Amino acid sequence: MRKGLIQATDSFERIVHWCLAVSCLILCFSGLGIMFHSLNFLGEPFGGLKSLKYIHNFTALFFILSLFFSVRMWWKEAGIFVFPEDLDWIKSAGGYLWHVDKVPEVGKYNPGQKMFFLVVALGGAAMVLSGLIMLFPLSIPAALVRLMYLIHAAGFVAIFAFFFIHLYLGTVGSPGSLPAMTTGWVTRAWLKKQHPKWLKEMEEHGTLVVYGEEKSSSHGH
Amino acid sequence: MKTEFVKLIDVTLCTACRGCQVACKQWNEMPGLRTKQQGSYQNPPDLQWNTWTLIRFQEYAPKDGEFKWLFRKDGCMHCTDAACVKVCPSGALYHTEYGTVGINQAKCIGCKYCISACPFDVPRYNPETDKVYKCDLCYTRLQGDQQPACVKSCPTGALTIGLKDVMIKKAYARVKELGGDANVYGDKFVDGTHVIYVLGEKPEVYEHLPKSPSVPVTTMLWKDILKPLSLLSAGGVIAGSFLHYIIHGPKLPDEEQGQEPKGGE
Ligand code: SF4
Ligand code: SF4
Repeated sequence: MRKGLIQATDSFERIVHWCLAVSCLILCFSGLGIMFHSLNFLGEPFGGLKSLKYIHNFTALFFILSLFFSVRMWWKEAGIFVFPEDLDWIKSAGGYLWHVDKVPEVGKYNPGQKMFFLVVALGGAAMVLSGLIMLFPLSIPAALVRLMYLIHAAGFVAIFAFFFIHLYLGTVGSPGSLPAMTTGWVTRAWLKKQHPKWLKEMEEHGTLVVYGEEKSSSHGH
Repeated sequence: MKTEFVKLIDVTLCTACRGCQVACKQWNEMPGLRTKQQGSYQNPPDLQWNTWTLIRFQEYAPKDGEFKWLFRKDGCMHCTDAACVKVCPSGALYHTEYGTVGINQAKCIGCKYCISACPFDVPRYNPETDKVYKCDLCYTRLQGDQQPACVKSCPTGALTIGLKDVMIKKAYARVKELGGDANVYGDKFVDGTHVIYVLGEKPEVYEHLPKSPSVPVTTMLWKDILKPLSLLSAGGVIAGSFLHYIIHGPKLPDEEQGQEPKGGE
């Protein structure tokens, strides 16, 4: 680790994030294997499509847990929009789409991330609910079950597309972001560019954790 | 499709002897399960995983007419635009060269999608095998130039099978002969079914017979719109990200040489 790096996420946050990501991906790909005849072969390594169905169903339990902890952990910071700063950020698209001289400053999560979080939280909940009903279709009126299939498919459209946006912005689209998920330590320059207000807040509250610096200075004020 | 067959069920000729029901069980080696007396001659009370065809006994008393029995052989209609085939993820349900809908139990994963999708409420689930069962119009018999077991057993001529257009013509001729409310049921729904009825009464009179069955709208939206859309939108996002990268470029932190002007204090 290099001196001067700043801790952006704690280990619990990262573990939950990874659990959510891995279970979501397994669900996406096992789901794809079930949905497309041409992808049925994805079940082969596990002994067939039926095993893929079981993998999908059991991974869902894992996903439900991760989703629960994610929502509990991030709701306050990422689930609530703050006005007017978030609106200004949206108007300039965070400087992602066209050139903006000064991107409005936002806190720990920018409105784009908040929207992503909300899609994951609400979409995830819809997936869990419709998925659970799809497990017991015989005890529920057929018209309702059919609606659940529709919701499950619509949720997949959204989550699968969003996943790639998330992946792009978390890696090459915004270099320096990935460590927030891997080691948890980011550079000050990155923090200043992406979340200047959060940096200021942490400095003001003395919660800034800088690698290699004495405790006294990180608490110092 | 080479030879499209249609099985014609002329309910006006049916005497409810249940020969077809028994023949179906025998040929397909399906066990009988103990049932209870329900106050009706109809037995079992509904289609089951082990009962692919069933004679429905209906007591019919029209307002201005005499009481009569209505007998209807229920079972898979072998739809051309079959909702069950549309939703089956494993390919267990498939269209045969006769236009009928076959089922390969070895492939079935017990997801039960077909049960909710079928507009005629036909496929049945067996929890013990975790698989779904339904009539396959005696596919193996058709392949051996044999009539389905039910048709073979029918003593009254209520069941016949033949080439599609021939049977449809025959059905309309019979309806004309019967007159009154008699009608042909099946050739117009879900792109035509491969089991069609000559009904003595209007379709809505018969229990458990949908008046105008169709592939459910939600099923079509799911399979014809959202399913392709899931790949399209993901592909669009990937392409968009690439374009974004080469046109706009990544969002890089500003280079900062040496010390920060202001520290953590
Ligand atoms: S009646 Fe139902 S089970 Fe039979 S082919 Fe049509 S949709 Fe499939
Ligand atoms: S239950 Fe079996 S036959 Fe029915 S849709 Fe699922 S895999 Fe296909």
